Amino acid sequence: MATGTPTNGPDDAALSSDSGTEEVRLEQFQYDDGIVRLFATATIVWGIVATLVGLIVAVLLVLPSITGGLPWFSFARLRPLHTNAAIFAFAGNGIFAAVYYSTQRLCKARMWSDVLSRLHFWGWQLVIVLAAITLPLGITQSREYAELEWPIDLLIAVVWLFIFGGNFLMTLIKRRERHMYVALWFYIATIVTVALLHVFNNLVIPAGWFKGYSVYAGVQDAFMQWWYGHNAVAFFLTTPFLGLMYYFLPKAAERPVFSYKLSIIHFWSLVFIYIWAGPHHLHYTALPEWASTLGMLFSLMLWMPSWGGMINGLLTLRGAWHKVAADPVLKFFVVGVTFYGMSTFEGPMLSIKSINAFTHYTDWTIAHVHAGALGWNGFMVFGMLYWLLPRLFQTKMWSDKLVSLHFWTGTIGILLYIIPIYAAGLMQGWMWRAMDDTGHLMYPDFIETTQSIVPLWWLRVVGGVLYVSGMLMLGINSMMTWMGRPAEYENPVHTAPRLTKTYVDHTPTPTSAIDGAPVLELGKKVSVWSQMGWHRRWERLPVRFTVFTTIAVVVATLFEVIPTFLIRSNVPTIATVKPYTPLELAGRHIFVSEGCYNCHSQMIRPIVSETKRYGEYSKPGEFIYDRPFQWGSRRIGPDLAREGGKQSSFWHWTHFENPENVSPGSVMPDYGHLLTEDMNYDAIAPHVKVAAYLGAEYTDEELNNTAEVAYKQAEYIAADIVAQGGPAKAYEKQAVALIAYLQRVGVDLFATEEPAAEETAEPADTDTESSEETAEPAVEEAAQAEHGDGPNQDAFVVN
Amino acid sequence: MIRDLVSALDYSSFAELALALFVIAFATMTYGTLRLSKNATDRFASIPLSDEVEDPRP
Repeated sequence: MATGTPTNGPDDAALSSDSGTEEVRLEQFQYDDGIVRLFATATIVWGIVATLVGLIVAVLLVLPSITGGLPWFSFARLRPLHTNAAIFAFAGNGIFAAVYYSTQRLCKARMWSDVLSRLHFWGWQLVIVLAAITLPLGITQSREYAELEWPIDLLIAVVWLFIFGGNFLMTLIKRRERHMYVALWFYIATIVTVALLHVFNNLVIPAGWFKGYSVYAGVQDAFMQWWYGHNAVAFFLTTPFLGLMYYFLPKAAERPVFSYKLSIIHFWSLVFIYIWAGPHHLHYTALPEWASTLGMLFSLMLWMPSWGGMINGLLTLRGAWHKVAADPVLKFFVVGVTFYGMSTFEGPMLSIKSINAFTHYTDWTIAHVHAGALGWNGFMVFGMLYWLLPRLFQTKMWSDKLVSLHFWTGTIGILLYIIPIYAAGLMQGWMWRAMDDTGHLMYPDFIETTQSIVPLWWLRVVGGVLYVSGMLMLGINSMMTWMGRPAEYENPVHTAPRLTKTYVDHTPTPTSAIDGAPVLELGKKVSVWSQMGWHRRWERLPVRFTVFTTIAVVVATLFEVIPTFLIRSNVPTIATVKPYTPLELAGRHIFVSEGCYNCHSQMIRPIVSETKRYGEYSKPGEFIYDRPFQWGSRRIGPDLAREGGKQSSFWHWTHFENPENVSPGSVMPDYGHLLTEDMNYDAIAPHVKVAAYLGAEYTDEELNNTAEVAYKQAEYIAADIVAQGGPAKAYEKQAVALIAYLQRVGVDLFATEEPAAEETAEPADTDTESSEETAEPAVEEAAQAEHGDGPNQDAFVVN
Repeated sequence: MIRDLVSALDYSSFAELALALFVIAFATMTYGTLRLSKNATDRFASIPLSDEVEDPRP
């Protein structure tokens, strides 16, 4: 090793050969640690931002009015910012720092293109900044962990797949180490699968620069979203972190991984199994039963390979546990891997239907993901950074004591966060389903169940403060370490021969153990094949390895996707379910933009306590016009699947003005801005046109005079509000559209189809309109019959 | 025609088929991995420990 300028060109002559048969040239090269420094710095900066925003949303749950009703800082708009920042900004930059550092060293090669490396860095930061701007503005798809709208999605696809993926793959191809170490396999699986997930989950038809409508609807949309959502956890927060573990843990412990064989088995098992598991997020929903069961089975099987990884990580420290006591880097890794084991035991457990029925929509899920995110992802990144920073900045850590303090503060912070939230989840689960001796709900008022867990939410805030404090310690320590850096970084020059194009394998040609035995030639061939020399070859061929990994993921996906999309019986249509009117569609857009799905589900499961609390359970055919689906994943507020007709329009108006006025004790912030901001009726048309393009039946009047049609419906609702004692001119405000939507949710199921005779009286080209018109009173009747005190739905009829 | 064909296909056994496919792939990979020599796996496992190329290479 020397320090100086590398000569990486063809003139660097040498005589050494790695294969013995072909003369190869020695090449000199330097690792590009500048890009690692950039990503490491971004990891720390965004880590502080992500956890701070997390702390803010935790506070907003207990003090919902602390932001004074500013719409950009409501819980529902900031929560996606927190999750996106934690996953894609903090963990994402951490992954990239790990990949750029370890890949170069595992390949004994500089990254293929410095330009692509920098484009990757700045492109990714641009994505994060755009997310930080658009999400508080309410520009969102409302798909969890895929909230960003289509222009940003396009940017992500380019940066991830072509810039990052291309640079990574070319580095593998140009590497100087013959065998691809297992960490690289995990990186390959990450790049390939995340690209697939991102592209296919975000297929939309644009309705403007800031809005796209999913090509999937209802059940299929839910299926695709959780195929994406679960595998985003798998291939963004698990496989790259396992790659990180397989490189940095042996480095820090200065001993090889416990079992390389286990790492291979565990890699392929994860790749094979993970992709199937998504449907466990949708147990007892309108998803087909078979898909749900398949998801559960594969989730249970995930326990084995996941613990294979955990055991491999922990046993890598065999004989080195004395180092753990003294080295905070190893402490972070040990706690991180332990949390991985805990989360990956808990995940399969939660996928069991009967357990899931209890825990789903409760805070248990929140505790589960934070055990994984704060413990596994956070601590693995911290361990890596504390190992990397002295090497990157070529000086000692500024304060080892501060590192230790970060470790203990973070560990206690995690425990103080998750333990109360597990308890909150248990309380919610029990209270939601508790019945008295007469068969009635013991806690029919949803707010009562929320108020019971508010003290536990306060404890979470304390845990969050500790964890954020740890992040700040990392920030201070890294900044002070950076300030102690040398005037000029040393950049050693490494020398290694280029890999020969034709690899001569020195291992003997496999022969069959049954040569000479009186068996068929086929048997001998099988015997040779079973020695798995072919897999060794894969491990040397990055392109082929990538292709096979892709096939494993795609095949598994298709086995679930094809039946879900093609079996007609999966989504039985319901004749009375009609498209949303233009005003309702606009209201739905507001519902999505405000992030209401963050607190309210729209999915009543066929569970007695749910049907008693919310009404008839949800049917697959009810969601065929829902783009995107709004089933949600947690209930901070009650389910809204049967909200239509439950309350008067004025009740909703008052509720938006200040929830406490009609629901004392509510933790919902006020949405006063919806009562003051004007409704832009001219902006509705693109939404209706896209909905029509995607198959919703609209009349020519609705398509060509969208604003007028919507305005008329708004006038009826506004008149209704006035009649109920509300203010005048409500039709001018955005709230009216949201009220229109909420009054429509879940009522079509109870409508009665208009007799065919009346349709014949209408012109042939307006038959859809006629059924729309005539269905509405039926909706009203059914809704009022169902809920007793429903408002006059006749006022919503589009004439 | 394609629509009719696709609609007529029977997908009811997809779940079982998928499970069988996984078991076969998993068993094959496990079998193959267990047959790797200790010498080879020891060399592979030591790759991250050095930033220099080990020669002769595995």
